[in-house]
Amino acid sequence: MLVSWDWLKQYLDLNISEAEVCDRLTLAGLNFDGSSTVDNDRCLDLEVTSNRPDWLGHIGIAREVGVLFDLDLKIPSADISKGSSGGACPKIVQLEDEQFCPRYIARSISGVTIGDSPAWMVNRLRTIGIQTVNNVVDASNYVLMEIGQPLHAFDMNKLQGDTIRVRKAVHDEKFLAIDHREYQLSTDDYVIADNSGVVALAGVMGGKETEVNEMTTDLLIEAAQFAALPVRTTSRRLKLKSDSSYRFERGVDPEMIDWASRRCCELIVETAGGEVCEGHVYAGSEPSGRGSVTLRLAQIPRVLGIDVSETEVRRILERLDNEVTQQNEKAITIIPASWRRDLDREVDLIEEVARIHGYDKIPEHAGVSLSASHQSDLDRVRNKIRMGMLGMGFDETLTRSIVNDVWSKAFQGWSLAEPLTTSMPMVKGEDRLRVSLIPSLLGARRNNEKFSYTDIDLYEIAKVYLPQTKALPDERYMVGITSGRDFFALKGVIEGLVGMLNPNVMISTIPFTDPIFEEGQGAHLTIGGTTLGYLGVVCDKARKAFGLQQPATVAEIDLGALMKLAVLVPQHQDFSTHPAMNRDLNLIVDEDVSWSKLQEISYSAGGELVEVVKFQEIFRDPKKDGPGKKRVLFTVTLQAYDRTLTGEEADTTIAQILAVCDKQTGAKLLA
Amino acid sequence: MSLNDFIKQLDDLVETASTRFEDAINAVDQEILEETRVEYLGAKSGKLKEVQKGLGKVSKEDKPVAGKRFNEVKNRLEELFQSAADVITGGSGKKGKAEALDVTLPGNRPRLGHMHPITQTIDELKDIMGRLGFSAVEGPEIEDDWHNFEALNIPLEHPARDPLDNFYLNVASTGTGGGNQLMRSQTSTVQIRVMENEKPPIRIVSLGRVYRPDEIDATHYAMFHQIEGLLVDTNVTMADLKYVLRLFASSYLGQDVEIRFRPSFFPFTEPSVEVDMRWQDTWLEFGGAGMVDPNVLKAVGYDPDEVTGFAFGLGVERLCMRRHGINDIRYLYDSNTKFLAQF
Repeated sequence: MLVSWDWLKQYLDLNISEAEVCDRLTLAGLNFDGSSTVDNDRCLDLEVTSNRPDWLGHIGIAREVGVLFDLDLKIPSADISKGSSGGACPKIVQLEDEQFCPRYIARSISGVTIGDSPAWMVNRLRTIGIQTVNNVVDASNYVLMEIGQPLHAFDMNKLQGDTIRVRKAVHDEKFLAIDHREYQLSTDDYVIADNSGVVALAGVMGGKETEVNEMTTDLLIEAAQFAALPVRTTSRRLKLKSDSSYRFERGVDPEMIDWASRRCCELIVETAGGEVCEGHVYAGSEPSGRGSVTLRLAQIPRVLGIDVSETEVRRILERLDNEVTQQNEKAITIIPASWRRDLDREVDLIEEVARIHGYDKIPEHAGVSLSASHQSDLDRVRNKIRMGMLGMGFDETLTRSIVNDVWSKAFQGWSLAEPLTTSMPMVKGEDRLRVSLIPSLLGARRNNEKFSYTDIDLYEIAKVYLPQTKALPDERYMVGITSGRDFFALKGVIEGLVGMLNPNVMISTIPFTDPIFEEGQGAHLTIGGTTLGYLGVVCDKARKAFGLQQPATVAEIDLGALMKLAVLVPQHQDFSTHPAMNRDLNLIVDEDVSWSKLQEISYSAGGELVEVVKFQEIFRDPKKDGPGKKRVLFTVTLQAYDRTLTGEEADTTIAQILAVCDKQTGAKLLA
Repeated sequence: MSLNDFIKQLDDLVETASTRFEDAINAVDQEILEETRVEYLGAKSGKLKEVQKGLGKVSKEDKPVAGKRFNEVKNRLEELFQSAADVITGGSGKKGKAEALDVTLPGNRPRLGHMHPITQTIDELKDIMGRLGFSAVEGPEIEDDWHNFEALNIPLEHPARDPLDNFYLNVASTGTGGGNQLMRSQTSTVQIRVMENEKPPIRIVSLGRVYRPDEIDATHYAMFHQIEGLLVDTNVTMADLKYVLRLFASSYLGQDVEIRFRPSFFPFTEPSVEVDMRWQDTWLEFGGAGMVDPNVLKAVGYDPDEVTGFAFGLGVERLCMRRHGINDIRYLYDSNTKFLAQF
């Protein structure tokens, strides 16, 4: 809300500096956002909260200043008697939906001369950024900015028939607005109509045909109350925001509508001449009286933590123009001022006491009882993962949860269902809740590749949203990873993470096919039959689709699975303090014998003396070994808990391993 | 040859060889070292080889003693050679050579990753609030109208309910607000869920991603992070709120900090305030706070005459950007590894 300093002075004897006024207003809830000089006036920018529509006018601001500095407010009487003539208003008003329009006041003025507004009015309007139009339109804008009640002046002689209707629009009804554009209306819109059709969008904008221009001599002045929700819906759908619609959306003071109507007529007669018809139209109901609100004085220290004296409480509430109807040592009862639609509960009165008395009176050393907080397992596991990824050289990133259609289907390891969509896109074209982090991370890779960065190793811990029939989606945290390292480097990262959380679990790897993975280079990871995640090399086609130049490997791990396996308080295990013995084995096997098979056999055949069976490398020499063969080199570490092993014991154990390997896989020891 | 004569030859050999190897070390000279090795340890005509020929002339009963002595001397000479070689090739000594260690070469630096600055900010906030007794909690990002609005005292006509201001899901509509499920617009929803399921006292910080349609620019993003504190118990007052925020401000910004409440409006708190913290002569706007609105307490089944509560909310991105001097919020989300490596 822009405020003219000169304008405020009309209502208050202001002998206080602008700076002091703005500081106090800020601390009372009207946040000062800056100021500027416009000609000889000062323009203040004050931020009005959505529950205080009474501040959307200069009188409302002046009231607040009056309360804070204990100044008397002088409000114009809006006396139109000396400029009025006998006779009834020539129009009838029909309200077809009093839920939308509970009251509508119409006055007529005849014999006006359209011309320029006086300098004082032009200057004040200019200060707050409103261009002068003519003396009639300017008067309606002036009252709008004075009291916060929107008004509209119709050219009376352009209105056809004797009835003005406030009604719903007909489907696809056309409306030509004063901005010279034609709008197609829907049955959700409310309009002001005469016999010929729509002459205004209720609460939003006036019509072109009935606009006041230099030929106008007779006026119909509208002052009304319109419901907030339909005004906002129409305003947003048609992209027609106005100072009027803004105020209807927040609510107007039903008891000041008539004052605003009279004030507007008073100013028009003063600046444009003419006579106000003595009779006016009041369609709709009288505003219902405000209910009383009781404040129990004991609630003030209970809520605020400070004592405010009974006398001070009463003074504050009365100063705000609330009517005190009852008071004793326990409670005070008031009827709120008509413009304070935000005061209807005890707690609202407590807030008024607090903000006028001053929040600076509330101490900041009250002390709060001690409480033992706890860190959730989810946080512990995530912290471990983050430390592990940091140590392994990965940068954490954040990407958008809502993606485009193509990305939402790029990897479907977790769900084949159609992704959920949102009513609004987050970015143009992006309205799908993602079911995998992998596409987002490949997008992140592309962002980095275009800067020619190397070493792009990224991960994210975030949710995916897996659709479920007739239920809220399954929100699951995933650890998504993308890297320029090869398949086995990334598999090692995952094994490292899992090993950090629980050194005793064994990951099973099953080949997995997905369009995003290179053929034969995708894997499904499980632990004890439960899915841990997926891992694979991005295929050429997918790399092209994501605009990637360099090879990429991706993985996605279910954080829930990691949480299940995590041992958050590692337990000590006794271990042998006797020297271990290592034996290297180099076996020739058929190509289709997997490493995990050989490892498995080594552990089981070797028995309890086998401490670790560790892969070293695979070597292929078709000339020496023949086609379809490979050499697998690995190290077996042998150790006994209670003694140092002899060479003979070690040799015997190795012989057992070799025998079973041969029997089960045909593996032969290289000489 | 007598035993004594044989042993004397060996001892003389050790003495002269030691002198020669010492010369090689002093000269840091690989060539001298090699000449000395050949001269004394050469397989064909080295001096040790010549002395060995005399072993045949020693009497039979003295051969074992002579042989043992010979082996000892041989090992000794080999040790002298090896240690001289180690010294010379190790590059130590008075004269620098091509193979000397260049200590200015860079170390083999292991690759380290980085935690996102938003994560670091959230961790610090959780740490501070944890010390004040507030446990961190999370909840669903997809919410229903009741948890996201009604329970927070936001009626249907409130502008915050507008379909254009929320990411509603396109699922079967229940006829209100354009859809029943939406991406949550605040983390207060988590507070509602906690209060629905637990009895006071409640002492939590809720945190996570929130979503509001917004044109993305240097200071706005349609997805961001919030952290909100909540304390509900008997006898909770606004003075308690100020105290907690004061402790928070001192932890986060340092002891030289001031707090100010400015009246404001939020549907879910009453009284409502904006919290400013004055630091290095500037008032910083931190977020909103207030006493939990009695309607909210009723919505979760609490009696406002039995308990009161306070709540406050902070925007994580704003704090992170101010703390780290980040001037464009989009950096936080476009995964630029050069950016991420700065934190």
